[in-house]
Amino acid sequence: MDLDNAITIEYSYIDNKKSSIRVIFEDRTIDIPLNEANTDYQAIQEWIADGGVVIDNPPM
Amino acid sequence: MAKLIGNAPNQVPTNADLGSMAFEDRTNYITKNNPVHQPFRNLIINGDMSINQRNATINNGTNTNTYAVDRFHMFGAVANKMSGQQSTTAPTYFKNSFLTTSLASTTTSAGDAYGVRHIIEGSNIVNLSWGSASAKTVTLSFWVRSSITGTYALALFNKDAPNRSYVETYTINSADTFEYKTITIEGDTAGTWLTTNGQGIQVWWDLGSGSNFNTTAGSWGGGLDVRTSGSSNWIGTSGATFYITGVQLEAGTSASDFEFLPRDVNLNRCHRYCYVPSNEGTSGDGYVFAWGYANTSSQGVYFMPLPTLMRSQPTLVLKNTSNALEQGYHNATVTQHNTNVVTRSGTVSSDKNLVLLVGGASFSGGQGVHLRFKSQSTDETSFVVDAEL
Repeated sequence: MDLDNAITIEYSYIDNKKSSIRVIFEDRTIDIPLNEANTDYQAIQEWIADGGVVIDNPPM
Repeated sequence: MAKLIGNAPNQVPTNADLGSMAFEDRTNYITKNNPVHQPFRNLIINGDMSINQRNATINNGTNTNTYAVDRFHMFGAVANKMSGQQSTTAPTYFKNSFLTTSLASTTTSAGDAYGVRHIIEGSNIVNLSWGSASAKTVTLSFWVRSSITGTYALALFNKDAPNRSYVETYTINSADTFEYKTITIEGDTAGTWLTTNGQGIQVWWDLGSGSNFNTTAGSWGGGLDVRTSGSSNWIGTSGATFYITGVQLEAGTSASDFEFLPRDVNLNRCHRYCYVPSNEGTSGDGYVFAWGYANTSSQGVYFMPLPTLMRSQPTLVLKNTSNALEQGYHNATVTQHNTNVVTRSGTVSSDKNLVLLVGGASFSGGQGVHLRFKSQSTDETSFVVDAEL
């Protein structure tokens, strides 16, 4: 997953709880579960460790 | 003549009855101590490259695992240097191979990696006992074909703690000809080899990685090494081709015949890592793959069963294609479909099923709803459930 080419990386919420991380690319949208066994989630964590920030706009 | 079948349970033929049959050489038979043909001995999934759910030719991404056939992927430091696809060019007894084509005369930097890889789940290598004094020897066998002859490198290594790797070389003697290779590798008695649902053993066919990955062939070492200094720089030749199939990794010091599995078994094993719902619609209609109810006037909650227990909670990938999917709703007398582009508002997944929240329609609360491909011709890879390693 080439996060450098992502348009948006943000948390998704269901019932006011974080449910996944949504990554929007030009050609596709992916929803990544908040699960450490998921390799896309692992890639997100590495990206965060390198200074990346996941947009977090909790619902009101 | 002696009778071979007795009249009671304790009546069996004696050696005298059997004569020369009594001590038949069992060297080539399957016995408790000779499990050469043990079923599911192949640690590689889809080694015959017959399952190809993603069903397309694709270019490699940047430092990304890019899948063409199931369970096998390309990896390249710079995007669009290779393309990958399922091929029908294959050796006798096989139908498919994984074809990688070099798209440019790529100059490789020291830290760049280019290759084809298969990652084995840790839970499937428990019996090898790697990382202990009891580590078992393994043998890798495969058919390979390339437009460029010479010495090539392959490697086995661990990823989650990339502290162990073993590089070996093989030779492609004739251009554009399938050749069968077998390589026996002693089990690693050191290092950390996961036996969980994480990454166990990575098998890497190098296509011209940079000098940072060079090492000496034939022994285990620390660090992440995948090639020797003299092995092929395949990626440096535009138009070069590399085919591989019949890949088998098994415990033991010799290679057995490739283990062909029934297609349903092979597909089911691939589904643990990736599921692409088939668009099997008829009469122009797309295929329905999720069902549920409308929880508001503008949102449906859909439940989608997965065909097998996936390796982990999967990632959901939806192509940004106009009108790829549509929602249908039902009441007592009518079924209608919303033709707008659906907008997912959230997902909750487990390793057994998905729950999708999709907006963009106009419902009455509580109506039954379904989610389907827009039409029979919709690309089914518009929707991919991914739990790859």
